Amino acid sequence: MAFFSSGSRALVEILTTLQSAERPMPVDHTLFEFGSIRYHLLASMTDSENVYLSISTPSLSYEASPSSGLPEITLQETRKMYHKFAEIIEPPKEGYALTLKLNFSGLIRPKDRIKAINKISLLQSVILSSQLKDMLGSLGSSGTMKLVYNQRDPFFVSKTPAKINAIFPMRFRDDTDLAIASSFFQELEDLGSESSSFSRAPRCSWSPIPPPELRGEYVHHLTTNGGFVSFDILARHVKGRRAARTAWILLNFQSYVKYHIKCTRGHIQSRMRKRLEIMTEKLQKGFKAFIDKIKRLRLRIRVKGLDRFRRQYFQCFAVPKLTMAQKEHKYQKLE
Amino acid sequence: MANTLRLYLTCIRNTLEAAMCLQNFPCQEVERHNKPEVELKTSPELLLNPVLICRNEAEKCLIETSINSIRISMKVKQADELENILAKKFLRFLSMRAEAFQVLRRKPVQGYDISFLITNYHCEDMHKHKLIDFIVQFMEDIDKEISELKLSVNTRGRLVATEFLKQFI
Repeated sequence: MAFFSSGSRALVEILTTLQSAERPMPVDHTLFEFGSIRYHLLASMTDSENVYLSISTPSLSYEASPSSGLPEITLQETRKMYHKFAEIIEPPKEGYALTLKLNFSGLIRPKDRIKAINKISLLQSVILSSQLKDMLGSLGSSGTMKLVYNQRDPFFVSKTPAKINAIFPMRFRDDTDLAIASSFFQELEDLGSESSSFSRAPRCSWSPIPPPELRGEYVHHLTTNGGFVSFDILARHVKGRRAARTAWILLNFQSYVKYHIKCTRGHIQSRMRKRLEIMTEKLQKGFKAFIDKIKRLRLRIRVKGLDRFRRQYFQCFAVPKLTMAQKEHKYQKLE
Repeated sequence: MANTLRLYLTCIRNTLEAAMCLQNFPCQEVERHNKPEVELKTSPELLLNPVLICRNEAEKCLIETSINSIRISMKVKQADELENILAKKFLRFLSMRAEAFQVLRRKPVQGYDISFLITNYHCEDMHKHKLIDFIVQFMEDIDKEISELKLSVNTRGRLVATEFLKQFI
């Protein structure tokens, strides 16, 4: 599922082209990813060493961070991660949450530059995970918060001293989607509980009723047709570098499920089409063989030399032309 | 093939062989019209007693016969929600492409999943035993296809779940 990789491939491509160009080239691109994330890249001929990268991401929770701009913890994380080749520009470009000035001239080896570009492509996941961390910090020792990453599908994060619970209310368009998703959730639950190979992954549970952590939430937030999927996130899942990755995986869980449903629907459709072809082929073959047999039986019996004999016969005996005789016979008008 | 399924299909085959003696018969109501009497049901003397063959409550086959046409309606096994949806989806898909089968009815009879309508013209154009073979084969294929579809959806679900959990490790 390359679609859900946390790095932006477009950013990697543009920055690599800029770095590998023999002559400095001006760039002024605006990109959109996942519908709501906007990047702006600016490089000029005069200042060829510096590339300005601006990013705007929607806030994960309007309740937690009503003020504009990114929280201090996010800026710190970004500084820490990109200090070797980037610096934060204050204030950011108008309409964007963060602007970075990238300068790769300090990295001499091409290998290091590639690494740096790949790191830059992860900027969005760094921002989101640090935002998430900040929100969880603001919750205190326990509490629940509603997060909105995809406008249509909000989810909840509940914190207790021992663990964090990510709870996804699942809503589906129709029964087919629901049946495919149910099979997927069942497998997810079984795999997490039974096999030792996934014992390090967060434990997943799926229930048709809202978990107790969501007590007190609005009813319309808890009305679902696909139940509630929750993941138990322990300290080891968010340790060090893993935090960004875990946050990214969880933020994209609903999209992941929808993508699986879409692919499975396509698979079912193509399978049905193939089966229809096989069935009709069988039917046509069966009947065609039978009809061919009848046609063969009904064919005139062919006698060798019959045509030649017929031609000779008509040459010897001239057949009177009936058409002429008919023409001569006319109706007479009665007076 | 399971033993019970074989018996069920054999029973359907034998019934069809007995019921499929159709002849040309013009409509008694409308002059110069020739309509399948099993659909119109205007003259009771032209209809035979319908035969219902049940394997269990969920799987049954209704064979309605008249002088010039026969209607075969089937209810396919649906053990759980997923099978129910897959069966509905697949049979709807086939019904929408009924012209490819010639004898398939676009809308099934109420209470059944799929229906066939065979007239005396079909019997004249095609061969009776070939038609019966096709109906029985169709029933077998539907069962097999739905089981395979269910298996493939579950397998895909398991693979995707494995891939999802692998990301955390």
